[in-house]
Amino acid sequence: MSNFWFGEGLRKGRKTEKFPLAPPEEPPLWPSYLDGNAEPYCPTEAIKEGMWDPGRCIFCRLCEPQYKPTGKQGIFQVRKTQPLLKKSFYIYKLDSGACGACNVELGTIFDPQYDANRLNIFMTNTPRHADAIVVMGVQTERMKEALKNAYEAMPEPKLIISLGACAISGGIIGKSPMEREQYHVEIAGCPPSPYTILEALSRARGV
Amino acid sequence: MHYKFGEPAGRYLGPGGGYHVYSGSISEAAPQGYGDIHVHKMAAGEFNFQYGPSTGGLMESVGISLTTPGELINSVGVDPYFKARELKLKGQGIETALLMVERINGFHAASNSLAFLMAVEDALGIETSEEVQKARILQLELERIRSNLEVMKRMCEPAGFGVPTNQLGYLREKVSRIISSASGHRFFFGVNAPGYASIAYSGINEKLNVARQEFERIFYALLESKIFLNRLQNNGVTKDQFLSGPAARASGLRYDSRLDSGLLPYGDTPFFPAVREEKDCFGRFSVRGEEILNSIDIIASLGNLRETDRHVSKAGDGEGCARLESPQGDIFYYVKIRDGKLEDIWHVSPGVLNVRAFQESMKGNIFTDFHFNWESFGIWISEIGVVIR
Ligand code: SF4
Ligand code: SF4
Repeated sequence: MSNFWFGEGLRKGRKTEKFPLAPPEEPPLWPSYLDGNAEPYCPTEAIKEGMWDPGRCIFCRLCEPQYKPTGKQGIFQVRKTQPLLKKSFYIYKLDSGACGACNVELGTIFDPQYDANRLNIFMTNTPRHADAIVVMGVQTERMKEALKNAYEAMPEPKLIISLGACAISGGIIGKSPMEREQYHVEIAGCPPSPYTILEALSRARGV
Repeated sequence: MHYKFGEPAGRYLGPGGGYHVYSGSISEAAPQGYGDIHVHKMAAGEFNFQYGPSTGGLMESVGISLTTPGELINSVGVDPYFKARELKLKGQGIETALLMVERINGFHAASNSLAFLMAVEDALGIETSEEVQKARILQLELERIRSNLEVMKRMCEPAGFGVPTNQLGYLREKVSRIISSASGHRFFFGVNAPGYASIAYSGINEKLNVARQEFERIFYALLESKIFLNRLQNNGVTKDQFLSGPAARASGLRYDSRLDSGLLPYGDTPFFPAVREEKDCFGRFSVRGEEILNSIDIIASLGNLRETDRHVSKAGDGEGCARLESPQGDIFYYVKIRDGKLEDIWHVSPGVLNVRAFQESMKGNIFTDFHFNWESFGIWISEIGVVIR
């Protein structure tokens, strides 16, 4: 049977895209960079004075057609990079109060289409081995301590990354678990697409 | 409202809104035997082991407490409320509430939003066209295929089966891309409204047929793998009838809202409930595999769908509910609307019954069984640990 799986692996061949070195093969429209300039109704106040804030946007489409999705996946901000982590970057996920979609999309970057491992990005099961904590979901009472403990358990240097509108701004659900300025990296989307997550994590390593 | 308050009628779906919901009624009475969950008393030599709430080994934050003398697990407690979110739904208009309902369980957003919208339609007397009903079946079956692939993938992971784990993950992502190109969003957020369902049909069958061939190869090979089967067979045997979805069907129970909810025309499709007798992880794994193949057949039978008109909204007051089969089992929503705003809303998640069944099924198993069994139930904590205000 192990020979069968070995053969299966070979038979399927390489399924991984060249992204981020090449453009994404099938980028989603929602979420992606929104283009527009009017002041339509927005339930999360992501549009204010003609400016669109991707970190507040839940990509609900209520501003269509004044704002239109472009398919561009680069909706993230990297405020601090950590070049020491170029060769191996271990992330620890922390679900503070997520709906499940951010959780799934983070896991998806390890699937064959994206294969985050080839970019030296790995998932770790404990904050003690982590270089970065990826925070998902809104603030919830009983997860406050888990977040604090995980952060304190991480060795230096460490990065704090927010994944999705809930973690960045609270989105439509509630309050963000940390102040926005505390995050070194912001990955926008509700949930962010695997392309956006992959490129943002890769850039966080200073690549 | 097409549901009645009164005596228990039909099978039990779970608690919600201070009531107990059955397939035929909403009642104040719990079913007989439901409260009889065995409470374990610590014995000499046993200790308590806490797993979670946050650990990389689990998809979501959840507190799990295991009582053991070493290898054998004598009792398990699951606390789904560590990451309990409070959703302010009461007093909201339907459009804003829908944005939050979609996010109760983002991975099963079609099931949650459609059950909610069908409850709203019941309350406001909104009729839906056959086209809309078929578009809803299409969304639900795509969501079911993806969800079952995810569970099966996660059941291969603890076995260290890298190739099938990756191949199932590859197929799951393929389905996400089908959903994205057909509906505009990878999780069906923002695609539904009262009386309306948006999804483009073209090209889906061709893509699913390719995925089907790949899936069949993996599925049947896994069913022949002795090492894999050893991990699943007799692991997590369920004993009672308070179960929902694939977990129920793997225990010989013909429970499925597609059979008896009557809200969507599943009778016009080749749908059949995959029922097995094993009651263990193997049964749950097999049911999910069979369901993927059946969902592909259901989708193929729908024919070409046309776009429907958006926003068939209707103001008014009323009380309504709806039940449908989500990938983890029966999901139920109740709404009360006054002047177009939600005066009351609550839901029943199939995860509540399945968490209870998981706890019971773990007794007498060993630590290495844990991950297979937990994943086999396909429980989403986000849908249980949510407080609606
Ligand atoms: S998509 Fe929704 S949340 Fe984003 S800017 Fe438009 S209206 Fe606001
Ligand atoms: S950002 Fe959106 S997808 Fe992510 S947890 Fe929040 S509601 Fe879910």
